[in-house]
Amino acid sequence: MKQETYRFNCFVENRPGVLARIVGLISGRGYNIQALNVGPTEDGTVSKMKIDVLCSDESVVEQIKHQLSNQVNVIEVTSRKR
Amino acid sequence: MRTGAQALVDSLVKAGTEVLFGYPGGQALDIFNCLPEAPMKFVLGRHEQGCAHMADGYARATGKPGVCLVTSGPGATNVVTGLATANIDGVPMVVITGQVPLSLIGTDAFQEADTSGITRAITKHNFLVHSADEIPEIVAQAFYIATHGKPGPVVIDVPKNCQQALTAAEYPERVSLRAYHPEHAANPNDLSRFAKILNSAKRPVLYAGGGVITSGAAADLAKLAEKAEIPVATTFMGLGSFDEHSPLALGMAGMHGSAAANWAIHEADCIVALGVRFSDRVTGNIKLYAPEAKIVHVDCDPSSLNKNVKVELGICADIKDVLTTVASRIKQNRHPEWVEKIHGWQREHPLSYKQMHEGVIMPQAVIEAIDKATNGEALLVTDVGQHQMWTAQFFRHNTPRHFLSSGGMGTMGFGIPAAIGAGLAKPDAKVVCVVGDGGAQMTFEEVVCAVEHKVPVTFVIINNNCLGMVRQWQQLFYRERYAGSILSVRGRLEMEHLEQDLEYDYLPDFTLLAKAHGAEAYRVIDPAKLDDTIRTAVESGKTSVVEVIVEPRANVYPMIPGGKPVTEMIFE
Repeated sequence: MKQETYRFNCFVENRPGVLARIVGLISGRGYNIQALNVGPTEDGTVSKMKIDVLCSDESVVEQIKHQLSNQVNVIEVTSRKR
Repeated sequence: MRTGAQALVDSLVKAGTEVLFGYPGGQALDIFNCLPEAPMKFVLGRHEQGCAHMADGYARATGKPGVCLVTSGPGATNVVTGLATANIDGVPMVVITGQVPLSLIGTDAFQEADTSGITRAITKHNFLVHSADEIPEIVAQAFYIATHGKPGPVVIDVPKNCQQALTAAEYPERVSLRAYHPEHAANPNDLSRFAKILNSAKRPVLYAGGGVITSGAAADLAKLAEKAEIPVATTFMGLGSFDEHSPLALGMAGMHGSAAANWAIHEADCIVALGVRFSDRVTGNIKLYAPEAKIVHVDCDPSSLNKNVKVELGICADIKDVLTTVASRIKQNRHPEWVEKIHGWQREHPLSYKQMHEGVIMPQAVIEAIDKATNGEALLVTDVGQHQMWTAQFFRHNTPRHFLSSGGMGTMGFGIPAAIGAGLAKPDAKVVCVVGDGGAQMTFEEVVCAVEHKVPVTFVIINNNCLGMVRQWQQLFYRERYAGSILSVRGRLEMEHLEQDLEYDYLPDFTLLAKAHGAEAYRVIDPAKLDDTIRTAVESGKTSVVEVIVEPRANVYPMIPGGKPVTEMIFE
């Protein structure tokens, strides 16, 4: 199946354990992270994660986005094709 | 100022905790030390897994969060199964675990485990406390998270130094979570489309899951079904959301569901799915699922829409809200041909069973006996396996929160403790726990708690001397090689190198075990004595164990083998 890389931009609360939660959520559902970048934003209580994941179709992208948004510490998620 | 431990216990009380299930240990002792003065009932389990399932049963019976307190390390790892069980079924729980002091975390200290790491994937959320000052706020947030959106278990891991430190922090009046806003309102246009699709359907089916019960929408479901004459199928988790005495009731759909429910879904042109997950146990081969239907899916969890099944219209909102709003737009309607066709299937393939050997109790008859003995009022709690499916099939379910079972995780050992939790929550209910001889041996120790707290649960052990569901699969799909599924020494395969000269066929003797735990004990072998014995036990008002020796080779039918479509249903 043809797969394409999608970029998920996540704004999350800057707390211990949030990165592990996000990464675990994606890997626990069998998706492979291609690239991951985490850094602070101007608001020190918020971090931004850029996560690149190989997805087979848009429904997988939507599913990952919903799963991420459901997380208690996730403020906002957007996605786009790379 | 008070200690973190005192703040924790006070916060649990503020959050509305009436019953606390738990088991002590070194890193939780400061919290336990605050319990004697706390205005709530404490129930000492006999294994942390039992404590977790008790809290789960309490939550399923009431809708209120079940609360559980255990120690660090092995205490925390022992609740893991209970958390996973509650998580997949969307059951609200708050579990407090002790933890080694912050300064010792990461040093492989005695009874240290990375509880937040271990429980992350099987909880809705978890917290590791870093300071006593955080405790009241975290407890408030934990209860909020556990009960809002799709409910689920939340773990609070509390290091011992935070329990001992002093704090002036107070329980917050309001919970504010920056990033978590799980309440979704339906788009008005979607509601109009919902009504339009349903109003124009020729062969509609309402398909109700556990979400209907969680949302408290059973009455709205019944009104909708009657107004537009729409047959109702339920999932396993949705049993009790629709009264099965109704002529519109199709019973349960799925692998062991009724023929009528599965065929109705297969031939429907419109399915309104309420609070369901479209699990693989229900859809079978997903490509061939409901091929003709426009599916409208309503669920409070956005991630469940379009997850397993592509739907025509997905509405993320509270089910009760949606049904109340849409009710006036659904026109009064009749579907006489469709309903008659379904009744034809019901006549042709009713749920039934045949007596296999004269004088041997059929397990299905035990469930019918429970229905009779309780006038259909039993609050049923099951374990996992064949008896679980028979309980789903042969009891006429009629009340929400009266059928409690581990659906998603399929956790053996769930039944006995969960029934005790339900019994504590609902002292006036006729709680009947149906459990197999396999699962009963996993958590039997908890029967002591029922006896101590005078919880009048009737534990009915369906004893077929084997792990029946495993045995059934081996019979049907593994050429009758019963590896590991027979519990009597006499029937075991040679791979275990057992001498087959034991005097006893049935070990353990559950009546002796029950007596050793302080419960009333009955054993039934004679079919003629089944009804009376169950009635006696239920009406005794005491914790009782009824061991019923049943036909060991009975199977659960109908059955759609895993991954197959409805058309390949097996009847016997």
